[in-house]
Amino acid sequence: MKVLRQWAAPLAGYVIVSVLFFSLQVPTANAAMVTTDALLRSAQVQQDRLNIEAALDRADVHDALAGYGVDPTQIQARLDALSDDELHALATNIDNLPAAGTDPLSFLLFIFIVLLITDILGFTQVFPFVKHRAR
Amino acid sequence: MRNSVAAALILVQAALAGCASVPTVRIDDVAVPRSHEITDVAFFPQEDYQCGPASLAEVLSHAGVDVQPEQLVSEVFLPERKGSLQIEMVAAARRHERIPYVLERNRETVIREIAAGHPVLVLQNLGLGWLPVWHYAVVVGYDLDRQEFVLRSGRESRLATEFSVFERTWQRADHWAMVSLAPDRLPATAVEQNFLITVAAVERLGKPGVAARAYMAALEKWPESIGARFGLANASYASGNLAAAEENYREILRADADNAAVWNNLAQVLADQHRWTEAETAAQTAVGLGGDVAPTSRQTLMEIQRNAAQASSPQASP
Repeated sequence: MKVLRQWAAPLAGYVIVSVLFFSLQVPTANAAMVTTDALLRSAQVQQDRLNIEAALDRADVHDALAGYGVDPTQIQARLDALSDDELHALATNIDNLPAAGTDPLSFLLFIFIVLLITDILGFTQVFPFVKHRAR
Repeated sequence: MRNSVAAALILVQAALAGCASVPTVRIDDVAVPRSHEITDVAFFPQEDYQCGPASLAEVLSHAGVDVQPEQLVSEVFLPERKGSLQIEMVAAARRHERIPYVLERNRETVIREIAAGHPVLVLQNLGLGWLPVWHYAVVVGYDLDRQEFVLRSGRESRLATEFSVFERTWQRADHWAMVSLAPDRLPATAVEQNFLITVAAVERLGKPGVAARAYMAALEKWPESIGARFGLANASYASGNLAAAEENYREILRADADNAAVWNNLAQVLADQHRWTEAETAAQTAVGLGGDVAPTSRQTLMEIQRNAAQASSPQASP
């Protein structure tokens, strides 16, 4: 993922050129609408720069999802569902965000096994059925 | 926070002493019943590690989505992490055309949402700070007298958990909680700006019809909200309903005549209808007002002038 940052400059150049190219080619009708998001955040600062950052974030998150075993045919739809803020949060911190998936039963089982082992080793004495021979 | 609930309880008990009226209590200055349980929330017993899809399916199906946890696995589960991220839980609700709303981080909001009939999806850390055991569950009920919440959790369809125990596991997950409601329903504790931002994300996802319904719900609660009306106008425009878009932009301008963003978008809507003179006047007004949107306004004006010129040139006229 970090490797991608090295490509930031050339990729940014590419994006700028293609944005300019397309905006010269087709004067799209709604290119000039102020989005609701921009109004709510009262910031339309350098939308082009934000678009480039979003493209980089998107590529990072794509790799991260693939790395975490998401079915490649599902990745695109999952990326599309994310806002720019969410993409950025994932791109910068996905490894540290909690991925909740606990099965409380297997958690209890885990604790049980840990205590059982410590009982057997003699560090704890939680279960009466763990007998230690008197020395 | 725990204390404020207790304080509220004592106050109300004092006020009602000897009086057998409706058992309610005031929380954040809103009257709620002393206990409430949303019994019609489906229960999907969780498969291994999949508390995310199961909890999300419970919340979404209560909001009218026909969905099973298995379908949500491909939307929120990360196989290698054996779990689901909060951000993807939020995003998945949008994919199913519900409005995800992350609540203010205190117990009172959870109680108020449940009192309003909205099940609350929460993140808990059942383990310890250094040995985290992350878990999603759905709060479906509370009882202020017994001081407990009722949850759909893992393989438990009705897990009663004391406020104090819940608080510890919830606090370790930074008090994260969300509701996901049908677009025409507002969370009981919705804060205007936060709600509109989450609706704007639905709008951007290419679901303008869904977003429009949510903006209308917001306008019912906050009739003066410029953000909600602007969103409604933009969503109408995206759905191709130019008349509704124009009407709503003009409605905002009646109250806020110096809003450059609104003039800019109005200009675009007029241009789309080939009303070049009006469009150019609106765009010029936007440019004159300047502000953050000035670059966009200048672009709009330029395009309108160019297209208007083309439309009036001999080759282009019919």
